[in-house]
Amino acid sequence: MKNPRPARRPHRAGRAVTAAVGVLSAVLVASGCTAGGATGAGGGEPQEGGDLTFLIDSLGDTWVPNNSSISSFQGHVWGHVTDKLVYVDAEGEVSPWVAESWEQNDDVTEFTLHLRDDVTFSDGSPLDAAAVVANLDIWARGDIEAGINPIGLFPKTYDRAEAVDATTVKVYFSAPTLGFIPTLGYHGSILLSPETLALPAEEQADLANDIGSGPFVVESWADGDQVVLTKREDYDWAPEALDHEGPAYLDSITYKVLAEPSLRTSAVQSNQAQVAYNPSPQELSFYEEQGFTVAAPRYLGFVNGFAVNTQVAPFDDVRVRQALQQGIDRDEILSTVYTDAWLPAESFIQSNVPGASDHADEFAFDPDAAAALLDEAGWVEGPDGVREKDGETLSLTLYPNPYLATSQAVDELVAQQLGAIGFDVDLQAYDVVTYTERIAIGSDAVPAYEITRSFIDAGTVAGILTDADNGEDWFNVGQGDERLNELRAGISTATSVDERDVVLDELQSHVLEQGYFVPLTQIVQRLYLQSPSLQGVSYNGVAYANYYTAWLDR
Amino acid sequence: MTRAYAAYAARRLGQAVVVVLLAYVFTFLVISVLPGDPVTTTLRNPQNNFSEEEIARIVAYYGLDQPVWVQLWESLSRFVVGDLGLSLRSNLPVADLIGDVLGSTLRLATGALAVALVLAFAIAFGVRHLPGPLSRALRSFPSLFLSIPNFLIGLLLLQWFSFQLGLFLVVDAEGGWATFFAAVALGVPVSAQIAEVLIANLDHAARQEYANLARSRGLGGVRLFTLHLLKPSALPVVTVVALTVGELLGGSLITESIFGRNGVGSLVQRSVGTQDLPVIQAVVALAAVVFVVVNLVADLVYPLLDPRVRLGATGRATRRRTRPVQEVDA
Repeated sequence: MKNPRPARRPHRAGRAVTAAVGVLSAVLVASGCTAGGATGAGGGEPQEGGDLTFLIDSLGDTWVPNNSSISSFQGHVWGHVTDKLVYVDAEGEVSPWVAESWEQNDDVTEFTLHLRDDVTFSDGSPLDAAAVVANLDIWARGDIEAGINPIGLFPKTYDRAEAVDATTVKVYFSAPTLGFIPTLGYHGSILLSPETLALPAEEQADLANDIGSGPFVVESWADGDQVVLTKREDYDWAPEALDHEGPAYLDSITYKVLAEPSLRTSAVQSNQAQVAYNPSPQELSFYEEQGFTVAAPRYLGFVNGFAVNTQVAPFDDVRVRQALQQGIDRDEILSTVYTDAWLPAESFIQSNVPGASDHADEFAFDPDAAAALLDEAGWVEGPDGVREKDGETLSLTLYPNPYLATSQAVDELVAQQLGAIGFDVDLQAYDVVTYTERIAIGSDAVPAYEITRSFIDAGTVAGILTDADNGEDWFNVGQGDERLNELRAGISTATSVDERDVVLDELQSHVLEQGYFVPLTQIVQRLYLQSPSLQGVSYNGVAYANYYTAWLDR
Repeated sequence: MTRAYAAYAARRLGQAVVVVLLAYVFTFLVISVLPGDPVTTTLRNPQNNFSEEEIARIVAYYGLDQPVWVQLWESLSRFVVGDLGLSLRSNLPVADLIGDVLGSTLRLATGALAVALVLAFAIAFGVRHLPGPLSRALRSFPSLFLSIPNFLIGLLLLQWFSFQLGLFLVVDAEGGWATFFAAVALGVPVSAQIAEVLIANLDHAARQEYANLARSRGLGGVRLFTLHLLKPSALPVVTVVALTVGELLGGSLITESIFGRNGVGSLVQRSVGTQDLPVIQAVVALAAVVFVVVNLVADLVYPLLDPRVRLGATGRATRRRTRPVQEVDA
């Protein structure tokens, strides 16, 4: 359960070493190691066979499926070893997988899932209705006394599920849950054999015990080091959306940990591996020029940006929040920190989320307007360029999010930009442990919390807006904004996507206009550098690469 | 001597047990003082969506809601019966985790020590027997080796021998060549310390009367070196080698990370990053055991190399001049 634990950030000394290693390797690479690698653009008919090596910065922590399946690292392995009930593509479109079809009642509180009848786990046992019920129960509730966590993002409105017959499951919720079906395609919702689910945590933690129904099976693994998968010859129930039937083309996939980003990319360049995960964005243009492929799929979720705490002065004044909104030059962030693969934010949710609409004009960069808003709010420019009011300076502390490697570079730029309109911005960077300990969303010390979060259904947004129904209340407004309360209720009680989309559009305008959420850019949290010999890779709605469809041009 | 030796051995063993237990407790206390715990840190990851009530129940499963002294007592009572517990990070038994990585680190450390010894003796020999300018150049090698961080050596070796020459693959980190080059990266800085001590002691021995006598009898070159100079100079080397064990274990952390090896160093890195207390405690206890054993072995080897080293009446080993000669007196 540790998503981007990419950043088990090294401590200070470690970071210095990392930086030195990065610089050195960049120099070595640039100074002309020309070993093979770029072998032409390929194309043509898929070829059977071949072994794929995927270099990754970490393989996460535990392999207890519930506790690890949304990890940015382990999700890669789970995606090949297990199947899901539905498939969600990069545009958020839901299509059948193990569930062939489904129905829901008018209140969206009861769902009926119709399963394929030919799916088996790799130990030969059937993936039937009883197995699906066991999985739904463990996602919703976990088995905390046995060390199995629930899936935090599974709808909290889950009541129960019943196996009607071998291929029919009925699922009941205590309230309308429009997001249920898309959630089944989320990376946490992986189907495991009931036998695996019944094991205690310390046995589930042994990956070899975790039996799925996916196109690959675990051949061998070593904690923190590598996982070797081999293809399952009798696999024949891929989602239609993937356009490929039967077993995978590749014979095996090896996920191997290599902590240094520049060594991962050098290994791909010298043809020792086909994929380097999480290369540094600065290296990408160099490799692209050499003919390597860069994939920067976006996940469905919130964009990268700040959730502003409306209870902390001076951000309790809407004009100051709006000045913040208009004082950030997002184009400069894109051109300075990122490459063309990154897209500008159009709202506070990523533009590929169904229901997201383009509100870019509503938070466009306008330093003059921002300055005017601050003047109007009584913040007057002092002799050193920093604005003051009643003896207080206009200050803001930003805490770069350690789960996003580029966060600090972005925040440094934001600090400069806001400095130009009279803010005094301070940056405090922490490692993951300290960050999670000290930096809580909505706390008094945190005027702006930097968001990185994926979701699969836009309905998730209702859960963060206010404190109603145990909401996360990202902006610390409680239930004090009537308009926001209405919009939140509209989203959480909607019984159709069309109806919800109308409310969602108004909500996006309101949140941006009030300066509650200050977007920076659309987020790419999973970045892949690939050998040109690797073809046919597909990416799902949470930006994981799927090598079931992939093949090697040899 | 035998009774004195038995008493000496018993006391050393007793000390060793106390050292290991203290290391275990000390690690626990140090990590407990740090804010946060691995379970809560994971659960509060922004990608998760756990309620406070869920977090409290999960933290309770791991016993992390108990007062520190209760946790310490439980951990200690498990440890004394040989149960290292479960890793908080991976949920796997700590003994299995260490068992899986120990072999890799032992191979690397042994290889690095061998590389370090061969290099050190080769440099020392060269310094004594190569012509003037070459000898002087060789004398600067130890300082050079000490000043190059081993990650740099590791990166250069990877770049040349793996990425360019294709002699080994980074994905096959435990293979023969991969282990050899990792051992070189780790062994080079260690060789510097050994070489410095060896050269200084060889210089010292070469000025002794017995050396002059040997030379006057026509002995020279290799025979003088091996028969008369090496043995008296080797004793301080044993001390230095015992001390470099720490270096080998510490350096293995970076070397393993660079070469993608799955050893104790990478396990420590993962565990420290996640405050995985049971694993950190076990590794520290293991390191304490290694130090104690290595020092014991060094103590036992001295009398063999130098008959002047004897156990005193108290059963304490009296080492004479075991401190390495660091400077050459004019």
